[in-house]
Amino acid sequence: MQYDVRKLTDYLWELPQTGGMRVPARIYATEKMLPQILGDNAPQQVANVAHLPGIVKASLAMPDIHWGYGFPIGGVAAFDLDSGVVSPGGVGYDINCGVRLLASKLTREQIAPRIRELVNQLFRDVPTGVGAAGALRVPVQELKCVAERGARWAVEHGFGSESDLNHIEENGCITDANPAQVSQRAWERGREQLGTLGSGNHFLEVGYVAEIYDEDAVRVLGLFPNQITVIIHCGSRGFGYQICSDYLDVMDRAVKKYGILLPDRQLACTPVNSPEGQNYLGAMRCAINYAFANRQVIAHHARKAFEKALGLRMADIGLWTVYEVAHNIAKVETHTVDGREMALCVHRKGATRAFAPHCKEIPSEYQAVGQPVLIPGDMGRYSYVLTGTGKAMRETFGSTCHGAGRALSRTKAKKAAAGRNIIREMDAKGIIVRGQSRRTVDEEISEAYKDVSDVVDACALAGISRKVAQLKPLGCIKG
Amino acid sequence: MDLPRETPDWLDFVDHTADAGILVQAPDLKELFARSAWGMFSLITEMNAIRLVDLDRIRVEASDRPALMVKWLSELNYRHVTEHRLFGKFDIVEVGEEWLVAEVGGEKFDPVRHQIFTEIKAVTFHGLRLERDNDAWEAQIIFDL
Repeated sequence: MQYDVRKLTDYLWELPQTGGMRVPARIYATEKMLPQILGDNAPQQVANVAHLPGIVKASLAMPDIHWGYGFPIGGVAAFDLDSGVVSPGGVGYDINCGVRLLASKLTREQIAPRIRELVNQLFRDVPTGVGAAGALRVPVQELKCVAERGARWAVEHGFGSESDLNHIEENGCITDANPAQVSQRAWERGREQLGTLGSGNHFLEVGYVAEIYDEDAVRVLGLFPNQITVIIHCGSRGFGYQICSDYLDVMDRAVKKYGILLPDRQLACTPVNSPEGQNYLGAMRCAINYAFANRQVIAHHARKAFEKALGLRMADIGLWTVYEVAHNIAKVETHTVDGREMALCVHRKGATRAFAPHCKEIPSEYQAVGQPVLIPGDMGRYSYVLTGTGKAMRETFGSTCHGAGRALSRTKAKKAAAGRNIIREMDAKGIIVRGQSRRTVDEEISEAYKDVSDVVDACALAGISRKVAQLKPLGCIKG
Repeated sequence: MDLPRETPDWLDFVDHTADAGILVQAPDLKELFARSAWGMFSLITEMNAIRLVDLDRIRVEASDRPALMVKWLSELNYRHVTEHRLFGKFDIVEVGEEWLVAEVGGEKFDPVRHQIFTEIKAVTFHGLRLERDNDAWEAQIIFDL
């Protein structure tokens, strides 16, 4: 595909507004990354999103952009609340897929002798998917409380503590969730999956702080060299997948009803203020809260596994929540556009909120450094902690990248792993991997992913986030 | 349809960077729907390990034929997830433009005998194709994993 790409800065590229586009399309990337990005349909998808009614300023893509369903993965789009639209495709199937970072009082040296037992214990205690023992079985009536109260529900039921809630986007509970707009099928799919990781690229990782880039920020976040950390990456499970599927049907009809012209049927959307839009937002927020509760329960299981495997008391282990971010979400936020404050419906699909220092939405203790952002990499290399910046507030509606993005399809990854024992290879590198099946582990080999450091560096160079620390893996469990 | 022992020659896997897809060929429409279901479950589990213990009759309706394929596979995935069942046999009794009736066979998931390779989040409309070329049918379906 040939694109008319114009260079705006060394790290920002534009597809100018043409045809039915209402705003330009802008892609954050280094020059080195550009050929790969322009090699598939993702840039066209960024331009397609620019056609949608009520889109404000530009259709944006982060450096980890890749081809998605209608909307690109790595996309950010904000819509005016009066004239704009909301689209389930702009959020994705895994509503509020996100990442939590826990930090411990332990060092790498302290857990080295017991890392194998620890990973095995985590693999036993953190349920993954279908038929997994250990998942909470929550009656539908109670699930409605989960959908309204999010991580707070989990804390009220003995999973973690009040102090976790302060360190979660939206404090772990988004308001205006509407359980009445959730289908029976979604409740059924969600009933037995609370506290489970799921499969695909979801994981729980034990790692350590390997490099520090911003001394002030790590002090504020409570991080130190060689400190043991845990990353939890998962979302709203079958509950969210079903809500997305249900509302794609609704939107298909809404597009005809409201006469919305689309360059791609998968961008199906509806005016934010229409009954369909409000119903979707109400149901989607239930899934946002389900995912917050899910990660809260998993964090609790992880803490218990540390206690059991290491024979230490929680007070000596730590494992407090540094922060938790969502990277598949649509939210109503206030941003300044052309000098004017506007309430917008911001869609982040494979993109992370990265609010600047002194924003009222972030915890008081992090006010000076900005919102922590967690960027998971692949299971063999590294992940990053970043913080939000003022430039992100001005340019990207306070958003940054979300991860590495795949470089190889699952089929190609399996071929690359054929004849090799990936678990043993990782073991030799000092990374203990446990997965439900060998096939899952093979599909998730390091080389199947792009180097997340390129993505993170592009965001830092563009000024839409700051690098704080690099984490390296010691153990990983996969669904 | 009978149960193939290995990946059959009518089934191919589509290379899609983020997710997984199947390309299915069949001599008629009934077989196309049946084989697509088999292809989907082959992504989820080891098909040879599924015993055909219980039999179900399923009716699915949709607005058009491509949507019918998505609905059919979504229905089976929903039953798999919520009832913890694996399906290995699919007979399409009747199929129209907007509806189908099928008999499906399988059993309850048993962690001792069955392995789950992946969950399927959703059957998508992305790149969805159902085509007829004289006596041959072909379908492409992409799944969000």
